[in-house]
Amino acid sequence: MICQHCGKNPATTHIKRIVNGELSEIALCGDCARKLGYNGFFGDWGLQLGNLLGGFLEEEPEQQQELRCKGCGCTFDEIARTGRVGCAQCYQTFRQRLSPMIQRIHGNTSHRGKSPLKAQLTLRPQSAMQVVQEESSPLEEKQKLLREAVEKQNFELAAVLRDEIKALKEGKHHE
Amino acid sequence: MNEMKKWYEKSGAEGDVVISTRVRLARNLRGVPFPSHLDDSRKKRVLEAIHEAVIGPNSLFSGFFMWIPVASLSRTAAVSLVERHLASPEFISHPEGRALLLSRDESISVMINEEDHIRIQVLQEGLSLKQAWKTASRLDDALNERLSFAFDEHLGYLTQYPTDLGTGMRASLMLHLPALEESGIINRTASNLSKLGLSLRSASGEGGEENGCLYQLSNRVTLGLSEEEALSNLETISMQLLRQERGAREKLMQRIETQDTVARSLGILQTARLLGTREFMKLLSNVRLGVSSGFLKGIAPETLNRLSVLGQPATLRLPSGQEELPGMEQELLRVGLVRKTLSGA
Repeated sequence: MICQHCGKNPATTHIKRIVNGELSEIALCGDCARKLGYNGFFGDWGLQLGNLLGGFLEEEPEQQQELRCKGCGCTFDEIARTGRVGCAQCYQTFRQRLSPMIQRIHGNTSHRGKSPLKAQLTLRPQSAMQVVQEESSPLEEKQKLLREAVEKQNFELAAVLRDEIKALKEGKHHE
Repeated sequence: MNEMKKWYEKSGAEGDVVISTRVRLARNLRGVPFPSHLDDSRKKRVLEAIHEAVIGPNSLFSGFFMWIPVASLSRTAAVSLVERHLASPEFISHPEGRALLLSRDESISVMINEEDHIRIQVLQEGLSLKQAWKTASRLDDALNERLSFAFDEHLGYLTQYPTDLGTGMRASLMLHLPALEESGIINRTASNLSKLGLSLRSASGEGGEENGCLYQLSNRVTLGLSEEEALSNLETISMQLLRQERGAREKLMQRIETQDTVARSLGILQTARLLGTREFMKLLSNVRLGVSSGFLKGIAPETLNRLSVLGQPATLRLPSGQEELPGMEQELLRVGLVRKTLSGA
């Protein structure tokens, strides 16, 4: 479907609105959605990030690719494609991969507002981190650097790291 | 009950520019996937849990809120909720498994199973950010007594869209900006505001004019700022915008052409036999400009606020009980409303 505003780009966001007393929907491309002030929507962040990670991280180990959130069964791909996070637990399950996206939206920061009334409701961040393996091998170290490079949009460095990761992996296979 | 004035029938602080204030809080139940990952039966369980907490016999709120399952509404009634800013278009587009809690004066609404399990919304006339936040936060606390919310120390309240993480709070002001729109600097202003973490957009989503120069100014950043900081940021910047708009209005109203347009607009509103939505909103905007600058006397700002909500198509045909009205009948109804309201003013 083509964007109904510019009539050029493919539409990526569907906006529901009321026109003259009736509910209607307009399909927009990312640019027009932003131009018309729908930048609060997460839709094209997801698509952008999906493309970005798809390009750089396709060398990820199998089990990471297939990782499903225990809370809702979502994969990271689904989140990146739809732009919607499946459940609260997804934020722990995919913490490392979601954090660059969150930083791009809000900056590198953490919550400073109100908290729920009861302390026991809080999910401790330490337990959240355990979902992703923490021991670091040279390969994992490089993968971490790669993610950071992507986060900082340092694509030259990212390309170098991607090649190094590829070489490391191939080296392993030859052993 | 009919005597109770709705927020859109009043006018508040800085009411010459700020029509209304809205504070929205997004909350999700702990341990339950977000609504888009729930089937209808699990959505129903979320509804039941919240119904129990809010409407149940031991609830603090019993009698305060109306419980409105969206699927029980006619299309007209559902669209009218959006016209009165009580629900989002997205919310009414999929009625199944969704309900609205609505206070009798329509100043507090809670969308259940929209993008998040709970979206608390407080609406108030004029500039009233702190008061609206206080009310929303108190309701949040009261719900939290009965319900556990998904929360993380670093990410704050966990929401379906990462854009809402942190406070989950979106505060917005509905602004009438005819002079900034006329001077053509509104787009530049919007892009400057965007650098300050705020978003300014036409309240209709496209081309301000068709919605009578109404704009929405809201905070974009929800993580890393406390609610109070976000609100005071929004208020400070909105005051600058208000000054700009007022300055531009003063110049605009000195022009004989503008005075002519404003005076004619009131004349048309008072004497027209048919009024389409778009023309109506434009005329109302012109009259609002005239009233707020003191050029037109004898019309209260709240009269215009009331008209701009009650004159919307679905809200207009709601009392008739009809799902559709031929265009002309709708316009006749609007003329009736306008004349009655203006003569009572």
